Amino acid sequence: MSEGGPKPSSSVKLVLLGEAAVGKSSLVLRFVNDDFQENREPTIGAAFLTQKCNLPNRTIKFEIWDTAGQERFASLAPMYYRNAQSALVVYDLTKVSSLAKAKHWVAELQRQASPGIVIALVGNKLDLTAQSTGLESSMGGLSLSSATAGDNDDDDDEEEDARQISTAEAKAYAEEEGLLFFETSAKTGHNVQEVFTAIANAIPESTLKTRGGPGSGRAGAGGASGETFGGSGGVNLSAAGETHKDGCAC
Amino acid sequence: MLSLSSLLSKASSLIDPNILPPSLLNQVNGSSPDGQTPAVLFRSNFRLPDSENPLAVIPCELSLPTGEHYFGRLHLSESFLCFSSTAPSSTSGASSSSPSSSSSATAGPPSCGFTLPLVAIRRVERLHSRSYLFALAVTTWHNDQKLTLQFNSLRSTCEKFCEALKKNLRSQMSEMKNLRMLVGSCYSEWLVSGGKTKDGMKEEPDAGLGMVWRYPGDAKKLRDRSKMRLWAEYLRENGRNITLIRQPTFHKLIRVGLPNRLRGEIWELTSGSLYRRLFNPTLYTDTLTEFSGRHSLSIDEIEKDLNRSLPEYPGFQSEEGIGRLRRVLSAYSWRNPDVGYCQAMNIVVAALLIYMSETQAFFLLSTLCDRLVPGYYSQTMYGTLLDQRVFESLVEKTMPILWEHLVKSDVQLSVVSLPWFLSLFINSMPLVFAFRVLDVFFLEGPKVLFQVGLAILRINGEELLDVTDDGAFISILKNYFLRLDESAHPRSDNEKLRAVTRFQELMVVAFREFSGITEQTITDQRQKHKDGVLSSIESFAKRTTLRNLGPESKRLSTNDLGYIYDRFYKVLYERQERLAAIEAERERLSDKKIMSSARSISEKSMNEKGRVGLGPSSQLMDYDYFREFLAGIAKWAIADTPSQLQTPNMSNSLDAQWGNGRKKSINLNPWGDNAEPADHEFMHRLFRRWDTDFRSGLSLQDVVAGLAGIKGKKDIMESISYFFELYDDDGDGKVDREGILRISEALLFITRRGWETPLGIGDQSRGPEGRTTDPFLNSVSGFIRRCFEYADPDHASKQETNTGVEGMDELVDLLDLASDDDDDGDGDATPKSPVKEKKPPAAAKDGADEASDADHDNGNNTRPSAMSANAALDPANPLHITLPTFRMVVLADEVLEYFFESGFADSIALSTDGPKTPGGRSVSSSSFPFGNSTPAAGIAGAKGLRGVLDNIVNDGLRVAQEVRRRMDEAQKELERNAVPGKYKDEEDEEGGDGDGDAKSIMEQDRDLLKGAEASVVDEAAKDLVVKPKTAVVREGMVDVDTDADGDADGIVVSAPESPTFSMATTKIGDGPESPTSSIATRVEFDAS
Repeated sequence: MSEGGPKPSSSVKLVLLGEAAVGKSSLVLRFVNDDFQENREPTIGAAFLTQKCNLPNRTIKFEIWDTAGQERFASLAPMYYRNAQSALVVYDLTKVSSLAKAKHWVAELQRQASPGIVIALVGNKLDLTAQSTGLESSMGGLSLSSATAGDNDDDDDEEEDARQISTAEAKAYAEEEGLLFFETSAKTGHNVQEVFTAIANAIPESTLKTRGGPGSGRAGAGGASGETFGGSGGVNLSAAGETHKDGCAC
Repeated sequence: MLSLSSLLSKASSLIDPNILPPSLLNQVNGSSPDGQTPAVLFRSNFRLPDSENPLAVIPCELSLPTGEHYFGRLHLSESFLCFSSTAPSSTSGASSSSPSSSSSATAGPPSCGFTLPLVAIRRVERLHSRSYLFALAVTTWHNDQKLTLQFNSLRSTCEKFCEALKKNLRSQMSEMKNLRMLVGSCYSEWLVSGGKTKDGMKEEPDAGLGMVWRYPGDAKKLRDRSKMRLWAEYLRENGRNITLIRQPTFHKLIRVGLPNRLRGEIWELTSGSLYRRLFNPTLYTDTLTEFSGRHSLSIDEIEKDLNRSLPEYPGFQSEEGIGRLRRVLSAYSWRNPDVGYCQAMNIVVAALLIYMSETQAFFLLSTLCDRLVPGYYSQTMYGTLLDQRVFESLVEKTMPILWEHLVKSDVQLSVVSLPWFLSLFINSMPLVFAFRVLDVFFLEGPKVLFQVGLAILRINGEELLDVTDDGAFISILKNYFLRLDESAHPRSDNEKLRAVTRFQELMVVAFREFSGITEQTITDQRQKHKDGVLSSIESFAKRTTLRNLGPESKRLSTNDLGYIYDRFYKVLYERQERLAAIEAERERLSDKKIMSSARSISEKSMNEKGRVGLGPSSQLMDYDYFREFLAGIAKWAIADTPSQLQTPNMSNSLDAQWGNGRKKSINLNPWGDNAEPADHEFMHRLFRRWDTDFRSGLSLQDVVAGLAGIKGKKDIMESISYFFELYDDDGDGKVDREGILRISEALLFITRRGWETPLGIGDQSRGPEGRTTDPFLNSVSGFIRRCFEYADPDHASKQETNTGVEGMDELVDLLDLASDDDDDGDGDATPKSPVKEKKPPAAAKDGADEASDADHDNGNNTRPSAMSANAALDPANPLHITLPTFRMVVLADEVLEYFFESGFADSIALSTDGPKTPGGRSVSSSSFPFGNSTPAAGIAGAKGLRGVLDNIVNDGLRVAQEVRRRMDEAQKELERNAVPGKYKDEEDEEGGDGDGDAKSIMEQDRDLLKGAEASVVDEAAKDLVVKPKTAVVREGMVDVDTDADGDADGIVVSAPESPTFSMATTKIGDGPESPTSSIATRVEFDAS
């Protein structure tokens, strides 16, 4: 928490949606704790976390609702995207079906969520694609077309490109629907902060409800950051969620 | 479901009503208002498998070897003997000092009881006691145990009970092998025997992954050893696993937390999953073998989560642990594909596997999903949402201030509490504490989840009242869970009080303060909120489904899609329910002794299925469903003559059975109260066409796409192609001779009940309502003719003249005459309005030129075209039409053009068109256009009128068939040069055939038909047939109906009055030299 900075602070409700195992929780964990876990428990219902994002002229406190991805949990989603001002719709760059699911979510949000919701389309698991090694994004289309050829020499080709959804395709869709668009890797952290910053910037000033000044007692709330509610805490009791405090800024 | 209900009814067939006391008998007959039948209550009280039913009950005093006595009731079911004490009686209530041992009389389970599988009874002896007492001594499997049961009832009742017991004991003998297996796998045996290899038991039974990877928590701190000693003592005295007797100490021992190695077994026992395992000893391994190597969506989903289930527990970082988890989850997903796999199950099963073997976990998981938390993990998760709703209402009731605060701050409680319930707190609390909650949960049932949930809110109430957003709300509770092991009163002076942990406090609050929350509370509340929750799930499901129906769906309006959706599931579920009811009824009838309880149960389970919100059963419509579906949206898909499948006997007895109570009666007709759908080749074709995945079943998506193809775009060209493709079986762009005839049949089939045409099209004999039937017949015959005229031969080689050229020529002559007549007929019937001038502007569009050209050609029917038509009659010269030809032919006729432009699409009525089938079977009479055409129609009873009309429709169809038959015949005739006389015999034969397949055709109609049939020379002459026939009926209808006997004369006499008819006969009579003219001549005889 930037001490003394009288920047207006406001909280923004953000919901994550997307197919199971595309990395929603991992994105949040990267954003909130700058951490990555290989085998995270699937989110049951939803997890709640908070994180602040400092913009030049204001501070945005994200209240992040990280939802369960399995299809049958979809009917619970309205409970979580209710009143959300922003949404991250995540898909897996290496899985075609996940983009279709993402499109469903976008449609659902556009019709059912609060009007004016800021939606970002995020393709995750960039680390699994050839692009992560430094290739230009324009390669996306090419690598897709050569995917079948690549599959054949899987064994000897260490740097296999698992990408199934080209940047161009997803981007075109995002533009058509008026979404923010990013390709990220929760594993490497690539582009993760950028997504949230972009969302923070895209939230219209008018929709922000300013909270009482900074340091208004709810430090306990901040303490929740870094731990998924309802998550872990199981066998390993020492993993208390005290590691991160509000101060972590973007 | 079917198998379950059949099982139930089978089971209940064993119920002997005589041994049930009258009070219980009454209960059995009806169900309590919350939908729980006594049988269901009985099973849930004693944790029995679903196959068990209460057969007999008797008041009884139980005396235990340990010296306690309990008064209660003894129940007998097919394979169990159960006891529950009515009052906490003469026992010395030895109480432990644990603060959590607060089983209040109202909330706690009965203080003593047992659930004894009959197979576990070694001996039952009648005790020689005082004469007025009736007592049994029961020796159980574990020899050291002898129970005395003293009955308090009339002697005759006692004897009946014993009889029933004896009978069932005998039938259970065969289960002995299973019993031995089961007992051998129980840890309690090992424990009591002190680990000695007494019963050939060599190794310690599997008590979960914890045996290898340690159990969570500090065993010393949990006082595992002393707990184990206490349990060993209890098990020695009170029996173990299947023979265990629950005394108050049992509940107390559970409340303080189970010892690690016994935990799995006691969970199994208290939840009742032990009994499932007893009777299905190999189900788990069999399932694994049967489905080994198979793949499914669930399997993929499971695979994704295997590494993410309690990943902190070392056992689940090993292949062994992961493997067990995989096998249990997969086996369950195979056994219950409706549930499959739901995230959270992985966590629950992982937790179970720490304490029990795979097999045990498998059965406990089924018990969870079926009984303890029903619907939690289903496709729609309705159970989860329902319990959230119940929880909210309980919070509102018990903590109104907190509830108001939550509402005011717009905090949604379920976002916090949902994971508690879904993962049974395993994912929310530290494992050691979650397992303590589970200990009580399996013993006392789902109410425990609510009690604990409420207690959590109560304990944190003060703090929660201070916060106003979900985030803060959540973090308070989260912190609370992390500090459950701390002292609840750290600053207290009282050392004892300081020693009380927060978790102990939680248990006390949960079970003492919320002791008013009983299983009944939960049942009532679930019942109360069920509808609301299901509706909201359904509206959500509908919304998302409709949005995701694929590109085709965009061609239909939202209203239409909604209508199709509703209709689809209505048909699907109603039919499933109906079939289940019929099945159940059939079984019931096969055994007269079955009692009504079975029915109410199976009905309940049926109702459980019939909603989208409850999750899918089958989502595909087979052909019969499809027919029923179509019949609801298109009147042509309704059968003309309902078949008489329904045996009156059956329905009567059913009505009597169902009429005596509150049950709504279910129509046993396979189509229920709906109109019986028709079964026509056209519908088969539609079904096949819509069944894009060749699954012999249509999904909602298939249906939507199919309807979109018909109704989606009102572009005539598209509609024509659609129809054409339906009949292009091999997709080569050609429809052969057979196909052409089938198309014309389909056209007649679809329009046989009349269809709307705009004013000015084909109106020569239209009824006042603007519906037409006969002009359509006209057009169809014209269609056939033109098709053959313009058809292309399959082989380029021209027809060889192997048949007499002369005959051919004559036939051609006839064709010419016929078509001339056609034109004339039109002119005569509608003198002032020749067809061409009456084209509506719509028809003047793209197809207009072509159409008029075709008309023109038709008018000057020249030899060459006649020749080709001639060739069409020759099966030796296969021919076909292509799409362009088909299109041209259609556009050549304004009625057909209109039909394809909109008539066909409009014949299927979706939302915007409003319901077209108001009264089921009465459709044809209410929608047929004769209602006010003649005053006599009113006089003639609706049924009589309908009968006639139906027959007309039938006739129309038959005419089309006749056309074909005649053609074939004419051809045969040409080939064989047969003598005219031969016709007579064939004719008669056919008449007989006709009777066979349409029994409803009345005598006078057949005469009419004969007249009509007879006049058919070939397809070109069809107009002649059709017109007189319909004309006859139009005008002769009064005669038909007033003539009570349906005297044929009535019709025949009136027939010549129709100008077209006489015209036709004259015309045909003009060409007697034709080889087929004998028929024509005969017509005149028949007609006059």
